[in-house]
Amino acid sequence: MNKILIMSLLALIITSCGKDEVIEKGAGSIDIEFDNVAVINNIQNQLSLVTPGSTNYTYTNGIGQPFNLNLLRYYISGIKLEGPNGASFTDEIKVDVAASKGIYLIDESKLAANIITLENVPAGEYNKISFTVGVDTSGVKEGASGGVLDPATCKMFWNWNSGYIAVKIEGQSPVSNGGVGGTETLNSSSVNGIAYHVGGWRNVEGSAFVNNNKSLSFNFDTNAKVEKGLEPHVHMILDVISLFKGQNIIDFTGNHNVHKPIDGKPLADNIPNAFSFDHLHQ
Amino acid sequence: MFVGAIILGCQKENTEEVLDPYVLRRPDYFPEITYPISGNQISKSGFELGKKLFNDPILSLDNSIACSNCHVKAVAFTDPQHNPSVGIFEREGSRNSPMIANMAFQPEFLWDGGITHLDFVPIFAIENEKEMAETAESVVRKLNASPIYPTLFKKTFPSLDTITAPYMLKALSQYMLLLVSDQSKYDQFLRGEANLSSEETAGLTLFKAKCASCHSGALFTNYAFLDNGLDVTHKDIGRALISARAEDTGKFKVPSLRNILLTAPYMHDGRFKTINEAIDHYRFHVKDTPNLDTRLKTNGKPGISLTDEEVENLVSFLKTLTDYKFISNPIF
Repeated sequence: MNKILIMSLLALIITSCGKDEVIEKGAGSIDIEFDNVAVINNIQNQLSLVTPGSTNYTYTNGIGQPFNLNLLRYYISGIKLEGPNGASFTDEIKVDVAASKGIYLIDESKLAANIITLENVPAGEYNKISFTVGVDTSGVKEGASGGVLDPATCKMFWNWNSGYIAVKIEGQSPVSNGGVGGTETLNSSSVNGIAYHVGGWRNVEGSAFVNNNKSLSFNFDTNAKVEKGLEPHVHMILDVISLFKGQNIIDFTGNHNVHKPIDGKPLADNIPNAFSFDHLHQ
Repeated sequence: MFVGAIILGCQKENTEEVLDPYVLRRPDYFPEITYPISGNQISKSGFELGKKLFNDPILSLDNSIACSNCHVKAVAFTDPQHNPSVGIFEREGSRNSPMIANMAFQPEFLWDGGITHLDFVPIFAIENEKEMAETAESVVRKLNASPIYPTLFKKTFPSLDTITAPYMLKALSQYMLLLVSDQSKYDQFLRGEANLSSEETAGLTLFKAKCASCHSGALFTNYAFLDNGLDVTHKDIGRALISARAEDTGKFKVPSLRNILLTAPYMHDGRFKTINEAIDHYRFHVKDTPNLDTRLKTNGKPGISLTDEEVENLVSFLKTLTDYKFISNPIF
């Protein structure tokens, strides 16, 4: 009995060692960069944030209302890569009290945060990426977690309807009648403030609970080749203008102060078309 | 049969003496544990750290108010003095402090169910303007600067470098998870260790017939959000704040009735000072509100019919839900 146990344990160790070796030999890294831009007249412009309260308006929404932005921050989680020849990589989500693996916070004010480096990706060719904009449900169900989910420091946590904001945008529009107070960059004296705290992570059948997380997939125009020594770099684009002129018009004279899942749905539904694959270099 | 029960009881008592009090145990007649315990293994030092935090006003803006101010152990971790509860700078809250007991088995927290994980409950109280009016970020700074807390956290979480909010919240959860109330006379009755008096038995029969469709199961709640006919217009919209549905206006979570005789005042806003006032609401004062739960209507009329004698029996039964061992447990 004991012998059998030892044998099978040995077998297990041997197989797992073998497996590790294979991965180590044939694995590499890949960078996924999120470039936040403003597409105006079909031209990509690097997004520029303004000082809170600025009346310098560079952008317009779908109905010609000018606006600018003080803050842009969003979560990306559950990244998956796939290839034409069966290569596949899932960036596992593992959250605990110390860290939140597989969940990333893209912050326009911290450009270094906008490059996600995936490591231990099996060697192969990849031409498709999938990810969720927002924190995957598994990241909420574990309770208080560290890293980018730390509820004290992430500034993306709702304590009264507990869960994480998927996309947080704050800025100004001259047509807004303000009233947006108590946010990171706006206060009660911000007369033209606009705030879009788009969250909500659970769908409850037959209720108004809205899951505003969006799961998206994009094909690359060429294959990204991953192997030891190669680190391909994928550029994904978020066009902030499209967030305000997609399938839903976001009118700054009305829906300009969003802090509830249901209120954030119109903007959330614009998210899929605001993201795109741009290019990659090997 | 009777002999068997006695023997079982004896055996149980013997094993209880050696039971580790820092382990979360589910009585077999309780609902399943909802808390994902594998991500937060309870230890003696973690429990004690959570208890210390629970009783420390450092969690509030001006270091004046602790969790235990409004969740007093002697009354099953509720607030006996105020209705509704009073927070920092004497700010009056809009709701009655709920009992902290059997948290490990609850699917949702607060009167409106806005919180789905125990870890996130304290951060709500810390950051609520009417409660502690502090930020979790600032509490963490204060804890790191304290002469005692870094050592205590390190003892519980050896891999920790600096204290962060998740560690603080996990410790508070460890404390709250072990606050299990399962030693009332009713629990003894369920386990075959005690008999109910004839009044208590009559009360239990009445309770099953007239109350238990909402106050159901071993924890005396079905966790639904219901309108029990208190008001026609609502100062506090309750569940609708979370669900954003008009039909949830004025609905609040059905509370557990464990320790009910200790946890006055009653209702989400603490409007009733005595258990008889609360019962009289159901007898005489249920308003025919648009969202009124249909179980509170008899033959199309709002309210539950109970005679004075039935009320006495019902209260006798409710008294059996008081868990004196829970409120006098020196570990808690």
